[in-house]
Amino acid sequence: MSGFTEQQIERYSRHIILSEVGGAGQRKLLEARVLVVGAGGLGSPVGLYLAAAGVGTIGVVDSDVVDLSNLQRQVLHCTSDLGRSKCISAREKMEAVNPDIRVIAHELRLTSENILGIIADYDIVADGSDNFPTRYLVNDACVMAGKPLCHAGILRFEGQATTILPNQGPCYRCLYPEPPPPGLVPSCQQAGVLGATAGVAGLIQATEVLKLILGTGQPLVGRLLLYNGLEMAFREVRVRRHPGCAICGDQPTITELIDYEQFCGLPSNRDPPEETSS
Amino acid sequence: MSSDPEMVTLRLFAALRDAVGEREVHLPCAGATVQEMLEQFVDTCAQDVRSFVFDKQGKQWPSLLILINEEPPADRQATRVQPGDVISLLLPLAGG
Repeated sequence: MSGFTEQQIERYSRHIILSEVGGAGQRKLLEARVLVVGAGGLGSPVGLYLAAAGVGTIGVVDSDVVDLSNLQRQVLHCTSDLGRSKCISAREKMEAVNPDIRVIAHELRLTSENILGIIADYDIVADGSDNFPTRYLVNDACVMAGKPLCHAGILRFEGQATTILPNQGPCYRCLYPEPPPPGLVPSCQQAGVLGATAGVAGLIQATEVLKLILGTGQPLVGRLLLYNGLEMAFREVRVRRHPGCAICGDQPTITELIDYEQFCGLPSNRDPPEETSS
Repeated sequence: MSSDPEMVTLRLFAALRDAVGEREVHLPCAGATVQEMLEQFVDTCAQDVRSFVFDKQGKQWPSLLILINEEPPADRQATRVQPGDVISLLLPLAGG
């Protein structure tokens, strides 16, 4: 088992005995670079499991600090982290789980100006953001950069997940060309979310990321997986690439990143800055 | 009820299901276009679910994902629904 320390062979032994992983697959994981957008409800399970799996470089993007109302589901953070940067808190926990890996903390909000420079350093992106402008921004940037994107969204007891391989299958906009008008679909803050819903959906994302790195199995491409925790039911629906898609269609109308707040019917972030806090 | 030859089943998810208060709605509209079926659906609902489906001009919101028997329809306006079809109506979830 060349290139592994004895400790690594033991640490990853349950991976290495899997025929789908093996020593070669574990090496791929250690060499992989994954960006996790958001260190919240979805980003927590994604980040922890990718770290434990030995994904060698994990970027975490978040501009928030840990709030008491986060702790019911954001299992990366502890009560002692209240008020601390989520990125830094995430990095500490993930590196404590596995000192083999390196976590890069991006303490910022993704924008049309900075996203392409950030995702350029990564192989795969997992979207665990909590708002429509960021979701469309991440989708469009990943399509433009040709980066695989593992998507999940949650609310109450429900989750949706899909994997986007740009130009090989549908993107987020092929499913949902535009976000719902503001106020129609509630946020977790408005409607609540069972903490464990984030765990289920985040671990679907984490599994998809690991499969993409390993090149094994059938990715969740062209399929939208629907999870309902109250019914404890999974459904799968087929989704197709939309020839008229504004970003990945035959004649894209979006050729550079736009103002996503405005696109989502919210005050533009290019307007004169206005301090907000949540 | 859904075995009636004229019926189709609408399966609702997330905020739309919460607004309607039902997981499934059965409508006697086999043969109708998707657009006609959605009109009938919002007219049938006691609650104000119109705003989830149509904008003020009566156009379908692009954010509504419509699937017939778990597949995208060829045309989300003009495709006709068949007896026994199950139509899923989905909205994106932003939460994370």
